[in-house]
Amino acid sequence: MATIDDADEPDGPLNRWVQRAIEDPERVYRALFYTAMVFFMVTTLFPFYWLLVLAVTPNSEIIGGGFIPEIELFGATVPFPLPVPQGFNPGAFVDVFREIPFHLYMLNSFALAVTTTIIVLVVASLAGYVFGRLEFPGRAVLMLAILAVSYFPPAAFVVPLYDVFAGNAVNIPFTDVALFQSIELLNTPGSMVLPFSALFMPLSIFILTTFYGQIPDGLEDAARVEGTTRLGALFRVIMPLSAPGVATAAVLTFISVYNEYFFSSIMATSPQAGNWSPLVGGILSYQTQYTTSFNLMAAASVVGVLPMLILVVVAQERIVSGLTSGALKE
Amino acid sequence: MARLKLEHVTKRYEDVTAVDDMNLDIEDGEFVCLVGPSGCGKSTTMETIAGLTIPTEGKVFIGDRDVTNLPPKDRGIAMVFQNIALFPHMDVYDNISFGLRLRDYPKEEIDRRVERAADIVQLEGMLERMPDEMSGGQRQRVAIARAIVREPDVFLMDEPLANLDAKLRVHMRTELQRLHKELDTTIIYVTHDQAEAMTMSDRIAVLDTGELQQIDPPLVCYNEPTNLFVAGFIGSPSMNFLNGSVGADAIETPNFSIEFDPARVDGLAPGDDVTVGVRPEDVYPVPEADDVAHPTAAIQARSDVLEPMGDEIFAYLLLGDGETSMSQEAATDDQLLMSIEPDSDLQEEEDISVVLDRRKIHLFDDATGDAIAHGIVDVTGEGSTGTRAESDD
Repeated sequence: MATIDDADEPDGPLNRWVQRAIEDPERVYRALFYTAMVFFMVTTLFPFYWLLVLAVTPNSEIIGGGFIPEIELFGATVPFPLPVPQGFNPGAFVDVFREIPFHLYMLNSFALAVTTTIIVLVVASLAGYVFGRLEFPGRAVLMLAILAVSYFPPAAFVVPLYDVFAGNAVNIPFTDVALFQSIELLNTPGSMVLPFSALFMPLSIFILTTFYGQIPDGLEDAARVEGTTRLGALFRVIMPLSAPGVATAAVLTFISVYNEYFFSSIMATSPQAGNWSPLVGGILSYQTQYTTSFNLMAAASVVGVLPMLILVVVAQERIVSGLTSGALKE
Repeated sequence: MARLKLEHVTKRYEDVTAVDDMNLDIEDGEFVCLVGPSGCGKSTTMETIAGLTIPTEGKVFIGDRDVTNLPPKDRGIAMVFQNIALFPHMDVYDNISFGLRLRDYPKEEIDRRVERAADIVQLEGMLERMPDEMSGGQRQRVAIARAIVREPDVFLMDEPLANLDAKLRVHMRTELQRLHKELDTTIIYVTHDQAEAMTMSDRIAVLDTGELQQIDPPLVCYNEPTNLFVAGFIGSPSMNFLNGSVGADAIETPNFSIEFDPARVDGLAPGDDVTVGVRPEDVYPVPEADDVAHPTAAIQARSDVLEPMGDEIFAYLLLGDGETSMSQEAATDDQLLMSIEPDSDLQEEEDISVVLDRRKIHLFDDATGDAIAHGIVDVTGEGSTGTRAESDD
């Protein structure tokens, strides 16, 4: 171990590194940064890479395993640190559309996500305006009540909602007095967009409340004097100035719905594109009673992720600033 | 262009009355300043006129229309805000044309008007800039351009110059006056800066605790304040106040008396308590007293602190024995502020005789604070103005 006395020439690489780190702490931060980066890159990118490997490997080879080849290294036989494809079958990316109409499942998810996002943004904007900018008695309690909706496990809503969406009459509990009878919504987008909107609304309301609350009153007053209504001021001034927040709420909602399976698998009574079964329903359709096309499932997963990838790259700058700060210049 | 009328406007919040029974009648093309200390209700009054706040009671008229319950956009007003409030996501052109675009004016008309407004406030060539690329003065000019471009009936300006530095403020003050001359629109201007109020306005409305104290041309407010509050608020440094009581043939203050026949003023009787007010510039050292037509008898005083301002000197005088000079409560009775010529050779700690200009002595009722008389000249029998003290409450 190096002593303080010969600090100028410490022995051993570790001691030298420590000594330099003490002199220049930036090095430590940089090292930690790269360590963390590599960790997160591996944990997020490896599953994606593994999907690619599975997708191009012919299905018959997948069960056999052996994705980690042994290689000769300096005379010793060691396992290669990354799985490699067994064979090369890019045709899987075409087969996913041949086997089933996968593009329709994607379209279903996309349409559900877009509709839900629009509904959520409009309603959450109104709510965010009210909670963020107006003073009224009971505001905190009401806000808490809305947030409480998101604390319930979604599964708790499935059975009663299914019952209603099936078109059954709804009675007042413990009586035979009919409350209302829903139209049959199963296998329609309504049965999915409605619960999605309700479930993802609280988060968006929360985000937008924070953002809208930070817009100076003067700007809204100015807009109203200039000729907008309160609603006009919300959409022309407050929303554009809260763009990072709106983008964050939109992207989070969009991704959540796009990836949703639990509700839609139940509300679509069978996993067919015509029943508005979503993306994940499509992916699982490659599994039949007798066969499971792992390669197609992997390929479909990769294809399904692409729209998300594009969306996030496009909106990235705004999401990041939205998640990290709500700060706004006046 | 239109006249503006507030009738019995009252705004109450849960436990505060921000504006109390306000009556204002502002002529077409008039420039009126609302002044008052913080929290006196001037901003609330402004918001009530703008429609950003609905009054609890009372009515607001612009022109012949009752606009009390109309939203701001339908009132024909434009407003310049204290914090400027430009839309940060729009460039100068979009900011100025915002109101016109909302009203679906044709493109050529918008261009023409924006150009003219930019011309008036000297913003040519800056229409493409974003607000955060501009200086405070430039932003303020954009805000004014945004207001004038719509050619409103009434302009509301809520401390528009408060955030500017001193030099720019004086410059913008002149520009606003020029603008008023050019546009001839009714302007309501909120400020707590007396210099702005005195120099710019046709009339000043002095507010305190939500009540209108006086609305008169600046010099009337200055020379004939209706009550103690206005007397103390208008003028800088403010008026000297001394406790006095009315005797048989004089008004007695703790340290001197002013000969005066109380019978000359209605409602003044021997034994009444009054407050005597006199402005610093109406106190004269004895050598100059010859210039004063109606001086009081000489008052003995001792100079305390001198504050040379360049164009004048403020001299704090101690009356009587001067022992209590530093205690705040006694200061009103034992201290007198005098404004003298800058070339005076008065030194600190010097005994001096001063006189007051009788024409400029104000008497206020001790109990109500209302003015009783402005000028107490009984030598010639003229000049005692009687009372202007019709109170507003």
